[in-house]
Amino acid sequence: MHKLHKHQARMGYLFITPTMLLFLAFTIVPVVMAMYLSFTNYDVVSRRDWVGLDNYRRLFQDSLYWQTFRNVIFYSVIFVPLNILISLLIALLLNFNKPGVKLFRTMNYLPTLTSAVAAATVWIWLLHPEFGLVNGLLGYLGITGPAWLAQTNTAMLSIILVTLWQSIGSNMVIYIAGLQGVPDYLYESAKLDGASAFDRFRYITWPQLRPTTFLVSTMSIIGALQLFDQAFVLTQGGPANVTKTPVYLIYQQGFNQLQMGYASAQAFVLAIVILVFSYINTKVNKSEESIL
Amino acid sequence: MTVFTLVALMFTAACGNTANTANNNANAPTNGGNKESSAKVKEVTFWGDWGGEGQKQFETMVDAFNNSQDKIRVKYVLQQDMITKFLTAATSGGSPDVLFWDRWRTSLYAPKNVLHPIDEYVTKDGLNKEDFYGEALKELSYQDKLYGLPLTVDARALFYNKKLLADAGVTPPTTWAELEAAAKKLTKWNGNKLEVAGFSLNDKGLFNMYLQQAGGQMLNADNTATNFNNEQGKAVLDLWDRMLNKDKVYKLGFETGLGEGTDAFVTGKLAMQYNGPWNLSTYKKFGKDLDFGVVAPPAGPNGDQASIMGGFGLVIPAGAKNKEEAWEFIKFWTANKDNALLWAKTSLNIPGFKPALEDPFFTEDPNLKPFIETLNTAKIRPQHSGYSVMEDDALLPNLDLFLNGKLSAEDTLKKAQQRGDQLLKDNATVQ
Repeated sequence: MHKLHKHQARMGYLFITPTMLLFLAFTIVPVVMAMYLSFTNYDVVSRRDWVGLDNYRRLFQDSLYWQTFRNVIFYSVIFVPLNILISLLIALLLNFNKPGVKLFRTMNYLPTLTSAVAAATVWIWLLHPEFGLVNGLLGYLGITGPAWLAQTNTAMLSIILVTLWQSIGSNMVIYIAGLQGVPDYLYESAKLDGASAFDRFRYITWPQLRPTTFLVSTMSIIGALQLFDQAFVLTQGGPANVTKTPVYLIYQQGFNQLQMGYASAQAFVLAIVILVFSYINTKVNKSEESIL
Repeated sequence: MTVFTLVALMFTAACGNTANTANNNANAPTNGGNKESSAKVKEVTFWGDWGGEGQKQFETMVDAFNNSQDKIRVKYVLQQDMITKFLTAATSGGSPDVLFWDRWRTSLYAPKNVLHPIDEYVTKDGLNKEDFYGEALKELSYQDKLYGLPLTVDARALFYNKKLLADAGVTPPTTWAELEAAAKKLTKWNGNKLEVAGFSLNDKGLFNMYLQQAGGQMLNADNTATNFNNEQGKAVLDLWDRMLNKDKVYKLGFETGLGEGTDAFVTGKLAMQYNGPWNLSTYKKFGKDLDFGVVAPPAGPNGDQASIMGGFGLVIPAGAKNKEEAWEFIKFWTANKDNALLWAKTSLNIPGFKPALEDPFFTEDPNLKPFIETLNTAKIRPQHSGYSVMEDDALLPNLDLFLNGKLSAEDTLKKAQQRGDQLLKDNATVQ
């Protein structure tokens, strides 16, 4: 018995070794390296001198850096709740085993499969102020649509629209999986007790979906704080930096302005912020548990 | 892109050394082989980021060079993200021999010793510097050292749609006042829908050019601080404000996302715009029904004419293994009348080598002539290592706010100056 365990353990370690090596080489080592670089004036090419906390000191006075955080927080506050709401609604609609429903599921999942850059390129055209489909449709309703991507007050909303379009598909799939894990007997007994459809959702579905919601919200928050591709392609961070995100700024600072040390410091602060937000999210989801 | 990917990229950059050493070793036998018999052909690697049509244009020149002699073989390698790859290669020895170089980058990169100065070669081969555009050479220099030769020179000139101008009874403008009046006449609105824009106000980055037309300069005389928060800067913003908000000759975002074939100018939805010679080939190809003309940029209120010179050069990275051969290739392409002309004809770019411009190809082409005239007075951007940072982070965002009606002209200039001066100071020294 004991021997068998040992053998199993050995095999287990053997199987995870390749993955762990890759994880070590491409995640752990780079992170440690970036941490070291954040204390240097590394410029990719000629210098790598230790500068202590200089980069971090500079960061606190960098108004642009904090503006990028305000931008992604604005983005998250709208994006994350909408993302959860819409993907849950679609999942509820498509959670039946009726013929044809699979087709709709596939169609809703399709946007997720396209590459962010390709999708954003098409959306630039859809959002064109004069010839775009979006303003064309608004025109039928008698509304003059804005120049979505060129105006400071609509640029971030456009990015939210595009990222929502692209991300609700995968969250819908997660929610459908969650919904199918809810045991039927709960609904049956609730029906016997005379619970309405809303009550059944409120007291059975939603609480049962808590782990799913936790997963979806955490992933959305992390994704939101790391927004890059869409902002890069749709607006290049403009106009007036309203769509510039921390990751975009880090990329620019490191590769365009050759300040990789400073960019590493920015990346580290971003990582800490993501950690904090994920932690808050865990707490919020735990506190809800006591309601039950 | 995730933070992890970024971190991984930084790491790759940092440790490029180890990765590329392996690469070098792999290449070693070939190089060693070359040394043994010097008669053997040397391989020169040429990196650029032009694909598609541009790649064919490059390959025409590479083939011409390879066929002209039998000692050196050049190979063009298309690099999508060229600068990033070059940076990782520069520190490690995986460097190419010739690099296609956006010239304004020189004052940021040359101080870091990643480029090889070519003064020696120029003297040795007795090239006459007067044959090249002085401003372009200046842009390829840092602290009295020359780092490359200009491959193309460009400047903005005014493109206009002949048919639209004729229909509106307008002649191509030569001054700001005429430009404004013409744009107003050319614009067509259908209710809230802009059908034909009179003049493109798409590129706020041209502020520098407008400022010089108004008689101003971006930086002060000793190149230490911004110099646009004044009457001249105000004149530019007032012009933009009038055209965009009062005359309504343009709408923000009007041209965003329109590709080559559906370009607003090609489809006749835009009557006039500032553009460079690089678009001549596109307009000739896609706009079969498009009859367009080009004139020098209209002069400002006091008659000042100005345009910004930009363009590309060819440089030799400090880590190049075949510097002599790389130089032969650069010389062949950029400092020879026939080859510069071949390049001009295949790509419709204006070469940096002046003797080639005496050819009828340039002197008799009505679309190229205005550019050649403009180039005689065009100036490069100020050579300050913090200049691009200042423009990107201080000036352009505030101009966006201005164009969106969120800032007054005075506040725009004031804010751009405050932040701009700070950024120039922060980025003044490059060790």
